[in-house]
Amino acid sequence: MIRTVYAKWLRDNRRSLIGWTVAVVLVGGGYAAFWPTFEDPEIAALLDNYPSALLEAINYTNITTPEGYLGATVYGLVDAVLLAVFGISAGARLIAGDEEAGTLDLTLSHPVSRPSVALQRVAALTTAVVGIVTVFWLVMLALSGPVRFSSIGAGNLAAMHVHLAAFALFFGSLSYAVGAATGRRAWALGVAAGVAVLAYAASGILPQVDGLEWTRDWSAFTWLSGSAPLANGLDPGHLGLMLGLSALFVAVGTLGFRRRDLAV
Amino acid sequence: MEPVIAAEALEKTYGRTRALAGLDLEVRPGEVFGFLGVNGAGKTTTIRILLDLIRPSAGSVRVLGLDPRRDGVELRRRLGYLEGDFVVDGRQSGHELLTYLGHLRGGVPAARISGLADRLRLDLGRPIGTLSKGNRQKVGLVQAFMHDPELLVLDEPTAGLDPFLQQEFTAMAREVVAEGRTVFMSSHVMSEVEKTSDRVGLLREGVLASVDTVESLRASATRRVEVVLGAAVPADAFTGVPGVSDVHVDGPLVRCRLDGPADALVKALAAHEVLSLTSEEPDLEEVFFDRYAGGREGASP
Repeated sequence: MIRTVYAKWLRDNRRSLIGWTVAVVLVGGGYAAFWPTFEDPEIAALLDNYPSALLEAINYTNITTPEGYLGATVYGLVDAVLLAVFGISAGARLIAGDEEAGTLDLTLSHPVSRPSVALQRVAALTTAVVGIVTVFWLVMLALSGPVRFSSIGAGNLAAMHVHLAAFALFFGSLSYAVGAATGRRAWALGVAAGVAVLAYAASGILPQVDGLEWTRDWSAFTWLSGSAPLANGLDPGHLGLMLGLSALFVAVGTLGFRRRDLAV
Repeated sequence: MEPVIAAEALEKTYGRTRALAGLDLEVRPGEVFGFLGVNGAGKTTTIRILLDLIRPSAGSVRVLGLDPRRDGVELRRRLGYLEGDFVVDGRQSGHELLTYLGHLRGGVPAARISGLADRLRLDLGRPIGTLSKGNRQKVGLVQAFMHDPELLVLDEPTAGLDPFLQQEFTAMAREVVAEGRTVFMSSHVMSEVEKTSDRVGLLREGVLASVDTVESLRASATRRVEVVLGAAVPADAFTGVPGVSDVHVDGPLVRCRLDGPADALVKALAAHEVLSLTSEEPDLEEVFFDRYAGGREGASP
């Protein structure tokens, strides 16, 4: 029985959440399955011929270890992008999308406060993100034997997935905040996608430019996998930045949502 | 008795558009108040302020003695609302949505929900997206009425309803006020509010131009009267009868306009043999707009 705004959001989005989970698992598992190919010494020799700046720009510097390969492909790129896109699109819909569809009025004409509605939905999105990365973790754990990356260990693999969840929440809460404060889904998508693109550039390409090395430290992609959680476990600093900024975004967005007029 | 809705000098501006320009409004307990105005007059703006969906630019408003801004949650607990454009996620069934909304209010008995649905002949099992517009509106009516709120705020509740449903709606609204509760409903068509309302307020360009009881509007209404007499009468036979104007006599056929009570005309007619007499129902909309708006614009033809 659905009794809360929190449970209602999860139920209303159950099909889409299953779809995202399947996509994240298939893409991540698919890339992971290619790892044995990269274990080949010939690949290492091949990569030695590439300019190091290029390898750095695409984060392929450690590609011949399982940590390096999975960190660069699955966690540093494809599933990072998938989860950022999920966070951004779901975050924009939490308030702004509902409002633009004309369906938010009905909820808010009931005895619930705006912050309560907004925060329950943020909590539901957080639950969804944690659910997706947990299922994904279990699948990767199951693959680690057959695909020969069990040397990473369940703990470091879990640490990587905690980083991944925080990364998705960072973009989800940014998108939520812009949407909740403005009521415009397009602005939420635009701002959050723009930040994501900049962050990706700042994790690889921008630091190649003299004087822009510092941008690497301010990229969510660096916070996600720059510390190589697969090799080194949790990075409290990076994790704290992602979660702290997420909390700040949620607070600012919710305050803005409380103060403004709802669009018709 | 304290008014259920009390607005004073309420203003709302959007950029350079002025939606409300100093609205004064008082709705009393136990009445159906019809809030009439053409589209764009500010009806929905007013209603959204009552619910705290938007905030006024100036002026004060109290609903059930509460400030919508400060006590919004408590206020909405005691209020039922139907928006003008009732849209919900169409993938859920009526039963699923209404049960959920009931839980947001602390629970509404399932029997109450199914009772209202039966009364409106609404199938709760079907996904809302597959329902006709009229049936979707029924879902909206059920969620507004189901928790027996002290005040019902209904934005164009009868738009798109068939005659049976309009009648059922009127009955439901009258039952609410019979219990001492209050209904505030908007419409842009007089005929939709006059059957239901005790008093009608006309909103014009963001101010309440006038408030009157439906009874008094009816008493002062203009009717078109057509009489067939037993024999031809002179052209000026009924000229000068109080309340009668615009007389056309064509042999035994008399057509005229009647303003106010019919007494004088009936007594004048009594001097003749009357074969038939028809008086069309007064168009209150016409009366209202004629009397207060200084013209016929906005009134239906």
